[in-house]
Amino acid sequence: MKLNRREALAGAAALAASLGASGAYAADEIVVGAVFPMSGSTAQTGVDARNAIETALAIVNAKTDLDLPLAKDAGLTGLGGNKIKVVYADHQGDPQKGRAEAERLITQDKVTAIIGCYHSSVSATVSQTCERYAVPFMCADSSSPSLNKRGLKFFFRASAHDEMFSAAMFDLMDMLRKQGQKIETLALFHEDTIFGTDSANVQTKLAAARGYKIVADVKYRANSPSLTSEVQQLKSGNADVLMPSSYTTDGILLVRTMAELGYKPKAIIAQAAGFSEKALYDAVGDHLEGAITRGSFSLDLATKRPMVGKVNDLFKKTAGKDLNDNTSREFTAMITLADAINRAASTDGEKIRAALAATDISGDKTIMPWKRIKFDETGQNNDCDPVLLQYVGKKFVTIFPESGAIAKPLWPMKG
Amino acid sequence: MAGSSHDSARRNNLILAICVAAAVACLPLVVKDVYIQNMLVLTLMYAALSQSWNILSGYCGQISLGHALYFGLGAYATLLLFTKFGVLPWFGMIAGGVIAAAVAAAVGYPCFRLKGHYFVIATIVIAEAGLLLMLNWDWAGAAMGIEVPVRGDSWAKFQFARSKLPYFYFALGLALVAWIVTWKIEDSRWGYWWRAVKDNAEAAESLGVVVFRSKMAAAAVSAFLTAVGGGFYAQFVSYIDPESVMSFQFSLLMALPAVLGGIGTLWGPAVGAAILIPITEVTRSYAGGTGKGFDLIVYGLLVMGIALGRPEGIVGAPLRARKRAKAA
Repeated sequence: MKLNRREALAGAAALAASLGASGAYAADEIVVGAVFPMSGSTAQTGVDARNAIETALAIVNAKTDLDLPLAKDAGLTGLGGNKIKVVYADHQGDPQKGRAEAERLITQDKVTAIIGCYHSSVSATVSQTCERYAVPFMCADSSSPSLNKRGLKFFFRASAHDEMFSAAMFDLMDMLRKQGQKIETLALFHEDTIFGTDSANVQTKLAAARGYKIVADVKYRANSPSLTSEVQQLKSGNADVLMPSSYTTDGILLVRTMAELGYKPKAIIAQAAGFSEKALYDAVGDHLEGAITRGSFSLDLATKRPMVGKVNDLFKKTAGKDLNDNTSREFTAMITLADAINRAASTDGEKIRAALAATDISGDKTIMPWKRIKFDETGQNNDCDPVLLQYVGKKFVTIFPESGAIAKPLWPMKG
Repeated sequence: MAGSSHDSARRNNLILAICVAAAVACLPLVVKDVYIQNMLVLTLMYAALSQSWNILSGYCGQISLGHALYFGLGAYATLLLFTKFGVLPWFGMIAGGVIAAAVAAAVGYPCFRLKGHYFVIATIVIAEAGLLLMLNWDWAGAAMGIEVPVRGDSWAKFQFARSKLPYFYFALGLALVAWIVTWKIEDSRWGYWWRAVKDNAEAAESLGVVVFRSKMAAAAVSAFLTAVGGGFYAQFVSYIDPESVMSFQFSLLMALPAVLGGIGTLWGPAVGAAILIPITEVTRSYAGGTGKGFDLIVYGLLVMGIALGRPEGIVGAPLRARKRAKAA
């Protein structure tokens, strides 16, 4: 038995060493780690993230005519034209695994920075690990507002957090109110993990501050097999606006159940997630004419900024779908990070951190509808206003903010 | 019952355990890579957890698929006491263990009247209820979880920024303690009672075994050790949320090494963990990044292989063969 255990350990160590050695990189490559869910129920998100990051790399590492940072030259000019390579790791949605993978990427693959992680809970442990090793962490797509408030020096997030997302929804409602729409009561419908809880907490606060009454606050178990009683509650509340925070499968079930029980909400303003996924509209889009969701990204921008359309085409070639809320953020995070590494002209964590802190990319040099990318002392970008999109005629149109809107909101919804 | 060959076999086992522990303790002299050290910590932790699970489910025969509850209780007690009241994690882990043992007794009181599959189902349901409670308990962080602010290395607070060695030795100590507890119990009156209960509760009772109290004691010991493991895990990861410490998956992960190595055997959990954990970690790390699920296929094949080839577990099969040979 002693042999058994020793053999197993020795074997594992040998395997790890041999596999680790295969991860050796060309001397002129700059290695960045990406930690995403690559297996399990959110695996598709990780696969999409990989495509988004590879699209960004294709632009950074080759010469293109796109008006993005680093696009015009091959590789990083600050580092003698060296190219960036990204190694991917799977965290399966588990904070412990994310932490272990981050540590492996830092110590074995010697990554210069890490990008990730979709799940806010995993971003929490991965960013802490990065802090311990003085390696910058670029938070691509986790939106928990608490993440940047933990006093971490190496944490950076270019995109909005949930407080900013929900504020935009209430800004829209305020605007419609001013235009004479009657919006008084809200119904919150949210799942019970960190995403839904966070979202509902912020929305409850905003509703109180801005004078809306919450007539139904329905929390449900994520991946529930049935939402009948929950929908009954929503139906009896019959609020002016239904605000769901749900992932894809729950979102589909919600809309199906509403249709079965004959509940037609007057308006839906969704906290993205499931409501920005193509799969949901493929399944139940018929009932969602006029549904509104917040987003970080809008393809409508392509009419004003043709570069956005070109990047989308590049992405579509590998991924087979358009850029969305998540993939646009992952793409932009990778470009922002590459830009900082280039300016740091070094692979040293402290120097890249300093370069990230000094980042100032104007909005028109990104694919996002943002003013600019500039981090505050907590590592959060505050100039990344989200957009609100409305599902009209089988596609999304931007309706808010007015500066980026291409149509007036359809209110109430037709669904 | 306690013949000299029996005694010497037990002594040999103890010596073997001490040798193995000593050998493992020397591993960090050779293994400097933090990733492999991390894997060793997890392996030892699962060996300890599975050993604890084995006490109730292997020796006493009360299959529990709800040990995530005790694991989570330990993790939460440790971090809540530390972040809310400044109680050092060392005491927090013990407190978590005591709470878990009390909960195990309270849960056991109604559930030990259930038999076989009904008991298993009850343990799953109760653990799920615990998960739901934690998801909705705002004071305990609800779905947001609790994070330990890491501020430099400290033995008092049991947190270390980069070094894995303190965690490694703690996990090794815990695995050894769990093993010795099992070893001690195996030859005690309780140990014989538990195995009698496992084989045939009615027959045992007719011979004067206090069946109900036996089960309660096994559950309390098992839950205590599991919760200490949970407290350790919380310190090790420094962040917990209900999904990451109390999900059903954890209950399975605690049972799997024992099932793989040999359920109800002294060495099964350790052998199972030493095989299972490195394989899952290495396949995920080096084959998981592709998004093709290769790591899960390997894992599935391994479990299938054991189920087909050695349903008694790796340690279980030869033991049984030897017994049969002796009987013949």
